[in-house]
Amino acid sequence: MKHAFFLQHKLLLTVGVVLLAATSCQKEFLDRKPLGQLTYDTFFENEDQAVYATNAIYNQFRQWDCISLPWIGLTDIISDDADKGSTPTDALYMLELDDFTFDATNTAFGSVWRGYYQAIGRANIAIQRLPDVNMDAAKRNRLIGEAKFLRAYAYFLLVQWFGDLPVITTPLKADEYYTQTRQPKEAVYTQIEQDLNDAIAVLPKKSEYSSNDLGRATSGAARGILAKLYMVKRDFVNAERVCLEIINSNQYSLLPRYADNFLQVGENGAESVFEINAAALPPQDGVIGAGASPYNMIQGVRGNPNLGWGFNRPSDNLVSAYESGDPRREATVIYVNEVLPDGVTQVQDNPEIVNERYNQKAWVPPHTGLQDNGPGNIRVLRYADILLLCAEAKNENSKSAEALPYLNQVRKRARGTNNFILQDVAITDQTMLRERIYRDRRSELAMEQQRWFDLARWGRLSTVLTAAGKTNFVPGKNELMPIPQSEVDLTGGKIQQNASY
Amino acid sequence: MKNRFTQLRYWLLLPVLLAAQLLVAQTTITGHITDQADGAAVIGATILEKGTTNGTASDLDGNFTLKISSADATLVITYTGYSAQEVAVAGRTSIDIKMGEDATVLDQVVVVGYGTQRKSDLTGSVGTVKTADIERIATASIDQALQGKIAGVYVSPASGEPGAGAIIRIRGTGTLNNSSPIYVIDGMITYDASFVNPQDVQSVEVLKDASACAIYGSRGSNGVILITTKNGKKREKAVVSLSSYYGTQQITRKIDMMNAAEFAQSYNELTNSPYYPDPASLGEGTDWQDEIFRKAPIGNLQISANGGTERSSYNISANYFKQDGVLKNGDFQRVTVRFNNEFAVNNWLTLGNNLAYSNSKRNIAPGGVVGTAYRMPPVFAPYDSAGKFTDPTSPFGLALANPAADLFYKSDNTRNGDRFFGTIYGDIKLFKYFTFRSNFGFDLDNNRGRTFSPKFQVSASQLNKDDRLYISTAQQRDWVWEQTLRFEREWGSHRLSALAGYTSEYRRYEGFGAGRSSFPGTSSEILYLNAGNDTTQINGGSQHDEALVSYLFRTNYVFSERYLLTVSARVDQASRFSRANRTAVFPSFSLGWNLGQESFIENLRIFDRLKLRGSYGILGNQNSIRDRYYPSFGLIVAGQYAVFGAGESLNQGATLVSLGNPDLRWETTRQTDIGLEIGLLNNRLSAEIDWYKRVTYDIVGAIPIPDYIGSQDDPIVNSAEVQNTGVDLTLNWRQAGRVSWNLGAIASPVRNKVIKFNDQKAEILASFIQGEPATRSIPGEPIGSFYGFKSNGVFQSAEEAMTSPRLGNETAGDLRYVDINGDGKIDGLDRINLGSPIPTLTYGFTAGVDFAGFDLAADLFGVSGNKVYNSKKTFRFAVYNWEQSVFDGRWTPENTTATKPRITNGGHNYRVSDYYLEDGSFVRLRSLVLGYSLPTRWLQRAAISKFRVYASGFNLWTSQKYSGYSPEFGNDSSSYEVGFDNGGYPITKSWQFGLEVTF
Repeated sequence: MKHAFFLQHKLLLTVGVVLLAATSCQKEFLDRKPLGQLTYDTFFENEDQAVYATNAIYNQFRQWDCISLPWIGLTDIISDDADKGSTPTDALYMLELDDFTFDATNTAFGSVWRGYYQAIGRANIAIQRLPDVNMDAAKRNRLIGEAKFLRAYAYFLLVQWFGDLPVITTPLKADEYYTQTRQPKEAVYTQIEQDLNDAIAVLPKKSEYSSNDLGRATSGAARGILAKLYMVKRDFVNAERVCLEIINSNQYSLLPRYADNFLQVGENGAESVFEINAAALPPQDGVIGAGASPYNMIQGVRGNPNLGWGFNRPSDNLVSAYESGDPRREATVIYVNEVLPDGVTQVQDNPEIVNERYNQKAWVPPHTGLQDNGPGNIRVLRYADILLLCAEAKNENSKSAEALPYLNQVRKRARGTNNFILQDVAITDQTMLRERIYRDRRSELAMEQQRWFDLARWGRLSTVLTAAGKTNFVPGKNELMPIPQSEVDLTGGKIQQNASY
Repeated sequence: MKNRFTQLRYWLLLPVLLAAQLLVAQTTITGHITDQADGAAVIGATILEKGTTNGTASDLDGNFTLKISSADATLVITYTGYSAQEVAVAGRTSIDIKMGEDATVLDQVVVVGYGTQRKSDLTGSVGTVKTADIERIATASIDQALQGKIAGVYVSPASGEPGAGAIIRIRGTGTLNNSSPIYVIDGMITYDASFVNPQDVQSVEVLKDASACAIYGSRGSNGVILITTKNGKKREKAVVSLSSYYGTQQITRKIDMMNAAEFAQSYNELTNSPYYPDPASLGEGTDWQDEIFRKAPIGNLQISANGGTERSSYNISANYFKQDGVLKNGDFQRVTVRFNNEFAVNNWLTLGNNLAYSNSKRNIAPGGVVGTAYRMPPVFAPYDSAGKFTDPTSPFGLALANPAADLFYKSDNTRNGDRFFGTIYGDIKLFKYFTFRSNFGFDLDNNRGRTFSPKFQVSASQLNKDDRLYISTAQQRDWVWEQTLRFEREWGSHRLSALAGYTSEYRRYEGFGAGRSSFPGTSSEILYLNAGNDTTQINGGSQHDEALVSYLFRTNYVFSERYLLTVSARVDQASRFSRANRTAVFPSFSLGWNLGQESFIENLRIFDRLKLRGSYGILGNQNSIRDRYYPSFGLIVAGQYAVFGAGESLNQGATLVSLGNPDLRWETTRQTDIGLEIGLLNNRLSAEIDWYKRVTYDIVGAIPIPDYIGSQDDPIVNSAEVQNTGVDLTLNWRQAGRVSWNLGAIASPVRNKVIKFNDQKAEILASFIQGEPATRSIPGEPIGSFYGFKSNGVFQSAEEAMTSPRLGNETAGDLRYVDINGDGKIDGLDRINLGSPIPTLTYGFTAGVDFAGFDLAADLFGVSGNKVYNSKKTFRFAVYNWEQSVFDGRWTPENTTATKPRITNGGHNYRVSDYYLEDGSFVRLRSLVLGYSLPTRWLQRAAISKFRVYASGFNLWTSQKYSGYSPEFGNDSSSYEVGFDNGGYPITKSWQFGLEVTF
């Protein structure tokens, strides 16, 4: 019994010691960090991570919110270039955009707002944290320049749609989440201009990038967006200056064949100033379609061949807007029974869709991973666009004669070897030339998500869209999109709604 | 020598205890309990050594054996319907006890967290289900066996898939997050009890109120389910039992779909064309439900042996369960082995273990075909004349897939699981009143998945361009180490017990998966990863871990058998939170008053038992962050690739996509409970009624932040508050004797409402259908209430439509939505809450009778007050078949007094509205069992102590208003998205025949 008593105590003692030991290392025991994953505190420690953080901004630009249905909805479909497309009942919120029956709860507004502000958020993180990364200074500056370019581009889209915006340039803290207010659009312009000028100062020219980095932001791309900003601000002197800087940089030229711009061969080609790059690649790191975008899928032929969902139908208005014989029409529109650019596949009639037509500029040949592995780059800025802007700016600056060569350069390429069409323009009357430039701008850039923004900066939304049959358009209201209702609600009205919404 | 050999054999059964073979004398008492009136054996009476929690129960012959602390001990014998007796052992080793039916006190032992307690001393709310009630249900899942058994415990089958579990809600939906309770299996905490073989279970105790749950602290707020597995009894001869059942299952009902003639007519009306010149000639066509469902067998075989020696007890069991799916090609099988042992090394040290191993294999049928079969037009046959799968896409659209082909090509999908789960413990008696226990629990869970998708093409959209094999493994390792010190003392009219403890836990998960394509063949010998094309390989992994350290404390004090007090607390420290918010205290306090013992009540001669009790406490909900292991960190997410370069290659991208929240703390529940327990008419009638109020606050949720912040996901914060109030009512009538019978009823009305969200958020919209929210949660109304338009008939003419408030271009035959705000137009502002998916009442009935060897038992279960959204009816990505109810009474140009809309396919009539909302109430005959046991005297010569055959039915009869298979759908992840019928795997009904033999 006595033996048992001692054994009992020994046991107790052992347990006591173990308990004490357990208690004393409890803090370490309870400090658990995410496994296999970096955290915000442990990131930005080397050059690779600086590059990753910058690449992640580009990534956002090919996500659903940025370049899918809401994107084509708020650019082509809402304009006179395109109808909703697809089957009559598919994605009715897109029909609301086409018909101007939307209100602030339409998900398209929330999508682009969220998508581009997320791009801005990613850029803000890089711009704030990169200066502290121990790495090659030149490369760091370039990366910051890329981030600033991407931030400027996102703000530029948002300001054209929504007008005044909350201008956020650093990652917000928790107590700042609900306190932001909309700044006047002029303040947004100033921020964009500053970012772009910073970017121009540090970004390489297109030819200065290694071929592996093709697709990164260039000083030319930054100038291109800057030129557009000046056009929006109707600062034609600066617009002309910047356009000429791009033209004289000798980095760009028009491709001989217009249609090649939208094929795989045209990606990042001589005419490309900026593109959102995407690729249909074999699976990597367990992710299929890690390089893809939904841009092609949403617009692809629906039916046979089954390449997509069939949204963004080129409108009757667009089809009839081209000059007689303009080959750009055939390069822009896919009709039933047409043989696709692969030269083989013929489009079959799909009874689910009324008056089928598709955007040929979003066409891509079949590829691995089916529809959702969309490989096509989204052409943001082509050299032809810059030439037309240059012509437009010069004309506005009363240098109509000087404008003509830029316009005719674009027309010449479009007509190819057929000298009976798209003859050179010789008009020097400013008003008349303006109309010629506007018309060519539409024909050249149709279905490339430019039309709404052009009509807006020309002040012609109301007249053009009403004439195109969009009788629900309300002047004084519909020139700007409604701020997503959730932003107004969540901030208790600190974010104010646009007039009349 | 023979004796030594026998003992040795038993020791071999005690793998953990082999070393411990000290021989010390013990005091053991055996006894025989009979009914005073007719001398029949009293089976299942509780025998307890007075002043301790040491106890046992009488066996089928009324015998018991109990090891007691001294020869002077007093035994307390209790059994429902009989009076409790106290018998002094007074040095005897064998006692005969006769029980009479004039009971005044009912005293059973109830398992509670970290111990046991007398039912009469209990101040908390605890529901119990015993083995007999569990075994009645033919299922692999202990969860499913609980349906309709305990007041306040709502059980809904997750699906009819073989081996599927259930969704359990204890006292309402307590949070916007995961509201599932935790399981404690023989002292080991887990979230997943799917490996438990129901036939190994001795009892299930459900802890419902704060007093009972607070000892589980941060995991107590959704209730606790304690599962105690069977063990043998010391000093009892070995009992070997064999039981088996075999039966057939089928779906409970079919959905009435349009036949081919009706579909063709509808298609003509839809397209306004005579596409089918003579619809009637098509007749019935294919009922696709017949193509995918089948009658499927279910079987179970259990062998167990238990008993005890002088100082040890053991229970060994092996079980094989197999269930084929009612959906073709799926099945589930499981082998479970259990070793439960306890061994008294000497008079102060006892060692024990509860170990279970299970191996399960599941062949998963492609569950999506339930939806595809629902949608498939009946005008197709599964195969064409050449025996190939029919391509159903023309002319109805590419969104159609032939379900027969899906079943054929997508069924090579298996999951293999190995789980080793158990506890090993040692008890040390210290001084006079203390017992120290060290308990080590572990849970090793390995799973392997294998999916092979062959290359095939049925249509332009139903195809797989390349084959693919994907292998995944997941490994979970949990351990818990608990040290508890218990104090028990009785003196005078005082009884005091106390418990203090320290526990530490660690869980770790690692998953890995890899796949390849382009295999050189399709035979099973070839289909291994290395045979695939290595340029197609993918792989990935995921992992997390967590640690928890806790301190426990509980004390029970009883004065004069009348006044009861329980105080308990648990301090939890969790690795999931930042250091500053890591520690939380969860206390509870409860009082009880055994009024029945007061002379002024006794004098009334009405009540045999009357107890009033009340509790209040604070509990946490770890489930609220169950899938968020590191919520305080902002995570850098890689894989945000950018594409650059002439070769279009991926460039790694990584950034912060979602914000962390270092300020996060536990989601917490305040719970108040007032209960009354009554025994009447010699305790034949017992009743228990509890009123409760649960308020969950600091509910963890992703509360929306403005999008201009640029965060991909909303940050997780403590914000909302939800309240559940309700009543749990239990009634039991038990009559013992030659004909013994019992009746039981439970009812649990509960009211759920959101009290508030955070300041920035007035509502949460969720369950989006075609871009429209179908639920809205707002303060004052139940979580996840259905939200949409209210319909009021259909427009009978185009003129009527034109002159009425409209949403868009409605015309004749379209649904008329009500202009709620009366502004003359229909828009988003006219949507209202349409009802709740949460039942306001759940109830159950049980009845049983035993006579002359026959036993008959039945369980009914029902719910009412809930709505169901028939969302599968609204999915229209192509021309799908319609339910038959769409056909009869539809609007046509000829039928302009219609109550149902015209035939359409998407658009206006498919907006979220009450048109698709149905009553979710139902009553179901959960089980019906008829058994017969051969008389003992016939069996004795064959050394058989029990031989019973039975027939049982499961879900045989249901009364429901809902048009789908069943108004119960499992959704365990979000409280906002409950009650949607998206066309899941239907539940089943079955018949079984069974046999039980005990040697």
